[in-house]
Amino acid sequence: MKLLESRGLLTLALAGAFLWSLTGVDWGSPLIHTGGGAAARTFFLALFPPDLSPDFLGVALAATWPTLAYAVAGMTVAVLIGIPLGILASGTVVSSPALRLPAALVSRFSLGGLRAIHELVWAVLFVAAFGLSPLAAVLALGLPYGGILGRIYAELLHDVPPEPLRALRTAGASPMRQFLYGRVPLALPDMISYTFYRFECAIRSAAIMSFVGIQGLGYQIQLSLHDLLFRQVWTLLLFMLLLVVLVDQWSSLVRRKLAA
Amino acid sequence: MKVAAVTAPAATQLAAEGIAKSYPGVQALAPISFTVSPGERVALAGPSGSGKTTLLYLLAGLLQPDSGRLCIEGQDLTAMRPGKELARLVGMVHQQFDLVGSLPVVHNVLAGRLGQWSLASSAMSLIWPRERRLAQEALERLGIADKLNQRTSKLSGGEQQRVAIARLMVQSPRIILADEPVSSLDPALAEEMMRLLVELVEDSGKTLIASLHSPYLIKKYCSRVIGLRRGQVQFDLPAAELTEAVLDRLYDLKAERI
Repeated sequence: MKLLESRGLLTLALAGAFLWSLTGVDWGSPLIHTGGGAAARTFFLALFPPDLSPDFLGVALAATWPTLAYAVAGMTVAVLIGIPLGILASGTVVSSPALRLPAALVSRFSLGGLRAIHELVWAVLFVAAFGLSPLAAVLALGLPYGGILGRIYAELLHDVPPEPLRALRTAGASPMRQFLYGRVPLALPDMISYTFYRFECAIRSAAIMSFVGIQGLGYQIQLSLHDLLFRQVWTLLLFMLLLVVLVDQWSSLVRRKLAA
Repeated sequence: MKVAAVTAPAATQLAAEGIAKSYPGVQALAPISFTVSPGERVALAGPSGSGKTTLLYLLAGLLQPDSGRLCIEGQDLTAMRPGKELARLVGMVHQQFDLVGSLPVVHNVLAGRLGQWSLASSAMSLIWPRERRLAQEALERLGIADKLNQRTSKLSGGEQQRVAIARLMVQSPRIILADEPVSSLDPALAEEMMRLLVELVEDSGKTLIASLHSPYLIKKYCSRVIGLRRGQVQFDLPAAELTEAVLDRLYDLKAERI
């Protein structure tokens, strides 16, 4: 009852904050500046057709490659960070009660620190440290994504149904063996599908890395936008879409295999 | 493993001496005492909240008693290492079988060996199953040998029930506990479950303690029935002497019929 009341209060406060924020918008001046409509029209009309000349397709393909490579390498780093820290943070494998809480706190704190900083900020830091090298892009992606993956892995491993674990325990399985035979197989399908979802996000993030000068689709988009070559922009966006769709297809293939 | 010397024909295998358990605000089990001899098939009857599950969980080592002592074959349960030692003495079949659906059947069966395997062996077995023959034989006896490599969640309820029994066969504890083993099953599967459990128990001279409600199943498959009510033993009878009147009183059915 008390919880319900405080929940209601919270909802009310949030709704109030939203309404109040509306007063911050300057409703008097038009939201779209003069000429904005025309610019938007030019941009969208450039989709018919996008620039499909062999030359530019070559450029787009060449730009797709580093974006995909950074996303794959970044996700690899993220998974390598996420699995050990996520397992520790789930608090399910450290059997000594004296160590469990410290281990969970330290790992949760590190995960929190990794994902509190946006990948672009990491990118600025790493470009400053390593220059415009692939390493900067891969680490800038891998660290915050590792923080996100670790946190979700920890939750998924922690929140598996307790009944199969209890049954394993009565079969003589220690917490570590329950982890291997219960938690991991029970959480794995969700862990994999979340990782794939994050892989899609990593592709978008890898493209955005161009804002700090790293090569890839985003960099080309920026160049074409500067030259107002909207048809080229659309080609690049379609390549982007293609990548994401491919990852999505791959992900559903893997998930179907897992369910079979 | 050393078995406590059997001195009298009806040696005590399990002794509960004044065990009690309470949860915040509820006395789940008043101090109760009883003994069980090897080979007995004990039914625990009683309405919901009477303490059956609490008692079974105490016997399985899933819960610790607030007071009292639980001895199995002369060893104090609380002093026992939960994995290795306890798993040889006591095993349990759960209400919904509680298997790991995403694992192949073979691993769910071999999970019965986890108490005896080293951690490294347990991990390796997930890739190259050890003692595969043990699982194969258990499943063969239960007539589902062809399911060995299937994903467990793809099996029917009746097949999953056999996988749970196969796990127990592989674990081979001396006392088998069953928490409402038939409550979620249709009558045919319920009868099947009891038949398989009793077969397993009789084949290897094990002891069975199961929470059961049906007087028919109790009389057919058990040798003794303990009636629990509000955490206390209301009666403790040979199953053959169980009458409708005794059960009605246990479940308070009279009051509801008026």
